[in-house]
Amino acid sequence: MSTEQTATGGNYEYVIARVRSRRAALFDDDDYRKLVRMGTGEIARFMEETEYETEMNALGSRHTGVDLVEYALNRNIAKHFDDLLRWADGRLYEYVARYLRKFDAWNVKTIIRGKYADASREEVETDLIRAGEFDDEFLESLLTASSIEDVVELLENTRFGDGLAEAYPVYEEEGVLVPLENALDRAFYEELLTGLSGEVSRAMELYIEFLSAEVDFRNMRNAFRLARSGADIDPSEYYIEGGKLFDADEISQLSRNTDQLVEFVRESKYGEDLEEGLASLEDADSLMQLEQALDAALLEYSDTLSNRYPLSVCPVLAYVLAKEREVDNIRAIARGREAGLSEDDIESELVIL
Amino acid sequence: MIENALALVGSVAPILQNAGTSYPAIPPKAAAALAVGLAAFGAGYAERGIGAAAVGAIAEDDDMFGRGLILTVLPETLVILALVVVFVVPDWSAVV
Repeated sequence: MSTEQTATGGNYEYVIARVRSRRAALFDDDDYRKLVRMGTGEIARFMEETEYETEMNALGSRHTGVDLVEYALNRNIAKHFDDLLRWADGRLYEYVARYLRKFDAWNVKTIIRGKYADASREEVETDLIRAGEFDDEFLESLLTASSIEDVVELLENTRFGDGLAEAYPVYEEEGVLVPLENALDRAFYEELLTGLSGEVSRAMELYIEFLSAEVDFRNMRNAFRLARSGADIDPSEYYIEGGKLFDADEISQLSRNTDQLVEFVRESKYGEDLEEGLASLEDADSLMQLEQALDAALLEYSDTLSNRYPLSVCPVLAYVLAKEREVDNIRAIARGREAGLSEDDIESELVIL
Repeated sequence: MIENALALVGSVAPILQNAGTSYPAIPPKAAAALAVGLAAFGAGYAERGIGAAAVGAIAEDDDMFGRGLILTVLPETLVILALVVVFVVPDWSAVV
């Protein structure tokens, strides 16, 4: 998989027609409402009759119950995102590939967590989402690495290398994974919006617009978490470059005071979408509602962008987001049912537009 | 290609003028033919995008075949309308 630039602009028409069709086939409110009322076995059976049929059948002999659902979801999402790369040509390919490196970060995180928790190789392997840029061989070598230090060493020459090398001593000192995971996230997001070829085109503008919205939401989430926890951490350590809403100084100031932060977000261009979540934060003092609202608002904003610019990279990225959200939702339902949560509790966990 | 066409027209025009009356460089029927050609070119360009999208949609859902086909050939109407021009334009002999 290369991100080499080609002369062509990309085959937007073809890819977007396919993506829109798949987007329309995602689960809707009714499906979720049905799923929430099912037991874990029923969920598995329901999924066998949908989009996830192939994966459920392939994995059905080896796993059961919630695990089966979860592995089928991982495999399905990898299949869909590989399809995107297969279809896309030229510059469109470059944009999509860049964005799907998210799964490299995710896979590395999963492997590091597995090593940290001494999970068996098979357990970790089934949790990987093979949609990113790392090929199977490299993931294999990461999986067989004996310690987190080895993993960090193996990644030295990748785009995550520098960040991880910096974070590793902190991890050794404190014994928590947060610095490593944070380094991975930052490496991914910063790479997304830097080192673009610098050409000025409408496609590039839209790509940047879409991603800076995502970075904004991520920064917002970090800021709210920090403001709520009142922890004495330097917020700029968690700040991701590339957003339009905050700069590093603003976020340092705002994340000391929840009220100010709420006011700031309300005045911003995302204020309208987030109104409900912000209100619930003020009333119920619950961050969870706001985080759901953030996810939903990002999804909605991505839909707005893809309706406004139908022949651009936006619908493709919006589909990626929506698909991820669906997988998260189904996982939440399956895990929630397994843990015996009530229907209302599970429903409040879901992000539905 | 354009130079060749101009050269052709340029070489034909003097011959025609030699006949004694004044003639246009491009006679009406030829102009109409050019219009059809240009219209077909535009229709082809329009169908490029629509066809790509239609094939994408059909790949996802076979039922889209009929709709995809219709939408793909819709720009052909441009060519048909341009074809009308050929019949509307009077013959060269009628003008003289």
